[in-house]
Amino acid sequence: MRKVILYAAVIAVIGFGILQFKPKAPLYHSQSYVFGTLVDISIYGETDERARAVTNLILQDFQHLHHRFHAWKTDTSGHASELGQLNEAFAKGTSPIEVQADLANIIRDATALSVKSNGLFNPAIGHLVSAWGFQRDEFSAVQINQEAINNLVQAAPRMTDIVLNKSNVYSKNSSVKLDLGGYAKGYALDLALQRLRQEKIKHALVNIGGNIIALGQHGQKPWRVGIQHPRAPTAIATLDLADGWAIGTSGDYQRYFFKEKQRYCHIIDPRTGYPVQHTQSVTVLIPPQSAHQIQAGVLSDVATKPIFIASPENKNQMAKKFGIEYLMVIDEKSNILISKKLAKNLHWQQPDVQFSTFE
Amino acid sequence: MCNFLRLNNQLTKYLRLGDSILILMSIIGIIWLFNTLWSNEQAAKVQIRQGEKIIGTYSLNQAREVQVKGPIGVNTIHISNGRARFSKSPCHNQYCVHQGWLNRAGQAAICLPNQISLELIGETKPYDSLNY
Repeated sequence: MRKVILYAAVIAVIGFGILQFKPKAPLYHSQSYVFGTLVDISIYGETDERARAVTNLILQDFQHLHHRFHAWKTDTSGHASELGQLNEAFAKGTSPIEVQADLANIIRDATALSVKSNGLFNPAIGHLVSAWGFQRDEFSAVQINQEAINNLVQAAPRMTDIVLNKSNVYSKNSSVKLDLGGYAKGYALDLALQRLRQEKIKHALVNIGGNIIALGQHGQKPWRVGIQHPRAPTAIATLDLADGWAIGTSGDYQRYFFKEKQRYCHIIDPRTGYPVQHTQSVTVLIPPQSAHQIQAGVLSDVATKPIFIASPENKNQMAKKFGIEYLMVIDEKSNILISKKLAKNLHWQQPDVQFSTFE
Repeated sequence: MCNFLRLNNQLTKYLRLGDSILILMSIIGIIWLFNTLWSNEQAAKVQIRQGEKIIGTYSLNQAREVQVKGPIGVNTIHISNGRARFSKSPCHNQYCVHQGWLNRAGQAAICLPNQISLELIGETKPYDSLNY
């Protein structure tokens, strides 16, 4: 009898010991700098070799996009990117040039989204972005040239000035200069998701410069993401990102400069030509979209811009135009406004966070 | 094996049921304590990355400066009293320096121009990735 108990004890101890050393979750995590920003890819449930190989494929896709669609860089021989050449053609006149099919699709989709936003999302204002000095890797406070800015607003470059005939493109307005800064990261997210599925990866989380898309989940639990606090180096809240969902934030803390104690951020109101100063951040959560529609990644990147630019009383209405149900806005005084649906999903990182909900 | 059985026989001769249970409980207790205390002690660390490489993972329970070289120069990272921050950077906008001290697991700061990132690592990660 005693012998049996001792054996049982030994087995129990060994068993307990083994249970304490949980097997390491097969999570592959990589960080790289492509696309002019930080790209962070997590892949769950694959061998390291496989995860690394697929990550490299995705990074190559991004690098390729970056070279083709960069708004201001030239290649090593001084040639403008595909987008740069298109912009040069727009500036010269109305003779059409041929673009590749995917760029034609991007122009078509970006135009539709711009129209939907009443022109607040306007990737045609590249000259304005440039006038504010944001089309540089290392930008600094600029001399604000009011006259130049007024002229650029008067010239009224719009996406609808661009005429797209299959793959031939020209602009009716020579002041149109495409800057895909508010579109390309989202587009790259959709591309990454497509690539992951094609490679039969089941679980992954892709973060391009802050915009995130989820595939599958992290083991037994969904992928969990933190939302950056606009004024502190920490997450303000966390939430679960389900399969196929994307999250995007536009903030005045991402690219900005100070001049006479005033903050000038990279998000410019095309109506005034000036950076928006009534909002700190806008976050949207986007469910998977059906095929042949504009996908979740692009929506998560684009939709935050017109909501950010819209005046405080018009923000909710703008969100509704884009079908956004999960929304958070933090205004210039750090007041938090949040949609009821998103409020249910957020886990605040600090106790007693005060917020109000949209009607 | 033979030796073990003989030892076993001797052990059972002197041990009573209560002794066995006591030994069992103490061993379980020791393993449990080891696991909780040991891992908590190592919880507060900062991981420094440059480009795609992990430069190192440093304990926050020390005062030290770490210098990391990137494409545009050298960043200085300051560690002290359970906190870490970028204290010097060759970058133009100094966003990384303005981020200030990080002290909670999951907090991160990036110097994009010099491709250097700091991330505080704790026992459990509060999230998989940060939306910013």
